Amino acid sequence: MRFLTRLTAIIFLVCVCAFSVWSQEMSKEEWQKQITDLTTQRNDLKNKLTTLQGEVAALQKEDADKAAALKKCQDEMAAMVGGMEAPFAALLDRIDASINELSRLSNQDLWARRAELDSVQTWLDAAKKNALSVLPKYSGRISDEQGRLDALKKSLQQIAESGSEMRVYTVGTWARDRDCLWNIAKKPKIYANAFLWPKIWQGNRDEIKNPDLIYKGQRLKIPPKAELTAHERSALRSYWSKKHAAAAASNP
Amino acid sequence: MRKWLLSAFMTGVLIVAAGCSSKPSTDEMKQLSDLQAEVASLQKDIAARQADKDALTKSIAEKDGQIVSCNKDKDALQQRMKGM
Repeated sequence: MRFLTRLTAIIFLVCVCAFSVWSQEMSKEEWQKQITDLTTQRNDLKNKLTTLQGEVAALQKEDADKAAALKKCQDEMAAMVGGMEAPFAALLDRIDASINELSRLSNQDLWARRAELDSVQTWLDAAKKNALSVLPKYSGRISDEQGRLDALKKSLQQIAESGSEMRVYTVGTWARDRDCLWNIAKKPKIYANAFLWPKIWQGNRDEIKNPDLIYKGQRLKIPPKAELTAHERSALRSYWSKKHAAAAASNP
Repeated sequence: MRKWLLSAFMTGVLIVAAGCSSKPSTDEMKQLSDLQAEVASLQKDIAARQADKDALTKSIAEKDGQIVSCNKDKDALQQRMKGM
């Protein structure tokens, strides 16, 4: 009797577990509902895809037509221009290269080459008269180059007004004038700043072999007052380095 | 005896209840799975076609702008060459 009771209890528990698992699986009704919903969804998606494919095909044709129209316009332009474009582009390149070169010059050198600005202006005027100058890709460029040339002309004017295009200082004697590069740079009419003496030295390398030795009568070009350039600072460092090395060698 | 009879009765009820509710067959479950896969594939295709449509619309708009600009340049050039 007891055995039967226990066996029944075990079977009962097994059935409870199986029932709970079974009850979580999909029923036939649920399956049918999902099939119906998914079938409807599939059919809607198929219709939508067919419509989209048609629209894409139409757009592809339109895109191809636009590309053909654009090419036609560009070919007509090229036919109008003929062989004019290459020499015109070459002229603009020449103007650009000249202005680049002139822009890199020091005030003194720019002043010395000021006639070249007139030549560049003549080229620019010729470019403006060319029919191709109306095209946006060229008109913008011509306008930019004119702006840069105008800036150079203004610099030239400022150089002339400041009188800094060329100044020359004739070296006096040590006894009377105490002329050395340091004292010359310190003079109010020169730089009023003794520390700018390397500027005079580097601006007269042909005249000054040793910055510690200048002679009466030497005519030294005075570059416009400005901060020492990188080159001038490097020359100064080299000068002091050699001086220290010489001092160290003489005092071991 | 009573307890034994009650347990046996409950067990019988559970067995019957578990056996009575019907479930979809293996083939039917596969049918459902295939349909789900088909729907997912269609959604993916639609997304791709929509991306194509958007790209083409953008390309057409750009070309329209280029054509207008080209025609404008062509007219300006014709006018300038007439005046030369």
